Amino acid sequence: MAEVAVRNVIKKYGHLQVIHGVNIEIADGEFVVLVGPSGCGKSTLLRMIAGLESISGGEVLIGGRVVNDVLPKDRDIAMVFQNYALYPHKTVAENMGFPLKLKGRPKEEIAAKVRKAAEILALEKLLDRYPKQLSGGQRQRVAMGRAIVRDPQVFLFDEPLSNLDAKLRVTMRVEIKELHQRLKTTTVYVTHDQIEAMTMADKIVVMRDGHVEQIGAPLELYDRPANVFVAGFIGSPAMNFVRGRIEARDGGAAFVSDHGTVLPVPAGTAPRAEPVAYGIRPEHIDVRDGGISATISVLEPTGSETQIFAHLGGDAINAAVRERISARPGETVPLLIDPARVHLFDDKSGARI
Amino acid sequence: MRSNTVGWLMLAPTIAILGIFGILPFIYVLYVAFHQWNPFGANPDMVYNGANNFRRLVFDGEFLFSIGVTIKFAFFAVLSEIALGYLLAQLFMREFPGRGLFRTIHTLPLIVAPIVVGSVWRLMTTPSIGIIPYFLKSWFGYDLNIGRDAGAAFTLTVLMDIWHWTPLVTLTLLAALLSLPKEPFEQAQIDGANRWQIFWHITLPMIRPAILATVFIRLMDALRTVDEVWMLTSGGPGAATRYVGLHIWKIVFPKTDYGYGAAISVIVLYLTLVMCWLLYVALVAPRQKKQEAE
Repeated sequence: MAEVAVRNVIKKYGHLQVIHGVNIEIADGEFVVLVGPSGCGKSTLLRMIAGLESISGGEVLIGGRVVNDVLPKDRDIAMVFQNYALYPHKTVAENMGFPLKLKGRPKEEIAAKVRKAAEILALEKLLDRYPKQLSGGQRQRVAMGRAIVRDPQVFLFDEPLSNLDAKLRVTMRVEIKELHQRLKTTTVYVTHDQIEAMTMADKIVVMRDGHVEQIGAPLELYDRPANVFVAGFIGSPAMNFVRGRIEARDGGAAFVSDHGTVLPVPAGTAPRAEPVAYGIRPEHIDVRDGGISATISVLEPTGSETQIFAHLGGDAINAAVRERISARPGETVPLLIDPARVHLFDDKSGARI
Repeated sequence: MRSNTVGWLMLAPTIAILGIFGILPFIYVLYVAFHQWNPFGANPDMVYNGANNFRRLVFDGEFLFSIGVTIKFAFFAVLSEIALGYLLAQLFMREFPGRGLFRTIHTLPLIVAPIVVGSVWRLMTTPSIGIIPYFLKSWFGYDLNIGRDAGAAFTLTVLMDIWHWTPLVTLTLLAALLSLPKEPFEQAQIDGANRWQIFWHITLPMIRPAILATVFIRLMDALRTVDEVWMLTSGGPGAATRYVGLHIWKIVFPKTDYGYGAAISVIVLYLTLVMCWLLYVALVAPRQKKQEAE
């Protein structure tokens, strides 16, 4: 096990720069998720940690050692790919034992380690099968088994669940987390799915266009997003944003949207001349008397909660409430916003105010 | 039922052509092989003589020698072509300036007719006028004379075959390499494999079907080589490069010993089948059995 550090790392393909000076410190045993929309550079960064991509600038350290020029095989890492990357001509046992075989370990030792890993992942009955005889979930488990068998310093996962169906994804998510709690190996996990990031990570790194937007614990990112991008990316359904200004009202301040809707702001907010983006999460809006009346356009009941798509004057807003709503589209409901949970961002820079 | 009839009708032209040009001649050759037939011999008529032609070839030193030298030729030619073709395919997988141009140029030998290849090589190697003996002599002091030196003649026929057919191997292996997913190779790098181990444990098993198909095609071709070698050495010096195809030609055309020539053809076909089958058994069957057992 080891800590991993990424310091001022840059990646260029010719003149095209795709990673712009990224800094991440990963503690020993930590589960870190790199998350961001496709093309943000998260997979490239992971492949640079693995040694599959060269590093154009900066340093990557594993266990305190600079590994920029160390071959992947000498970095003591294990990687799990999105499409599993199993060797099609080898059985499950041969796939899992291959790294040890390359190291020239005795056959009995390989067999014992493979058996132990197979037990952890419930693969004992599949050891003699070939990859093409396995289902997607089983293949993913074999890929993880191959990683476990090596007992590496760092696990790297590159979107490992993206090829699985929704239900299996949830199961495997739990399995990977359990595995981490059991083995306590430092893990770097790449995904574009913010739910995966929120549920699995000790620490999330949100990336966009080769920059780190924010690093923090899942709930930290949820409660105090550093900018509009993180606020919109983390959380589902996504946060509502309304453009407008903060004006002085009744001895305090209030938000007035471009369309004239007045919304409450956290206590102590000062009026501002520059335009702001007003953010409120759908789950922090309630249907209750005393709220601002909004016209319902669409209702989406999911059983556990109801999503309301409504209009507040000219501004569209989305609320998610626990109760079941008897109102119909076209009718009005009172929407009560909790001012303490409002996020304000500078409209130009996107930074939190 | 109707679609079945339509299917057969669609296949009919192919079957007819195959029957007329493939199966009927084969049956005729088989028929002739059991006869004594030399139109310009003492008795020009076709006379049934049982298995005598086959009995004769078992003790025919010239024939046995030609079989041996053909197998030797096929072995060296095919092995070198596969090795060289693989290296070239790996080279073409990499990015380098002028790759597209080089890829195109290197396939040009394939479109040259064997008889032309033979003539060009003949021109280049003829003592006193060829460019190759000239430079070998002036640079290395080596006197190349394919009319006298049996070893040199054999080597040249192998080199000519390599020059002509390696591009085919390169093309098929390149296609196979390009179709491979890249993740297992990255995984192998992480798993700790060096270049040789990646080649042996990952690349080779994954392109094995393509290699086998190529070996079969090239082996069958090499075993029936006639025109190129005929142009280059005419089977000489002596009978040093008289491969079995040339041997049959000599018996059937100048000697007009049709019955004996037919018998040799049948045996050569049989030998080719046996060799391919042995190769298949040795390389493919054990793996399949292993997979089926599980």
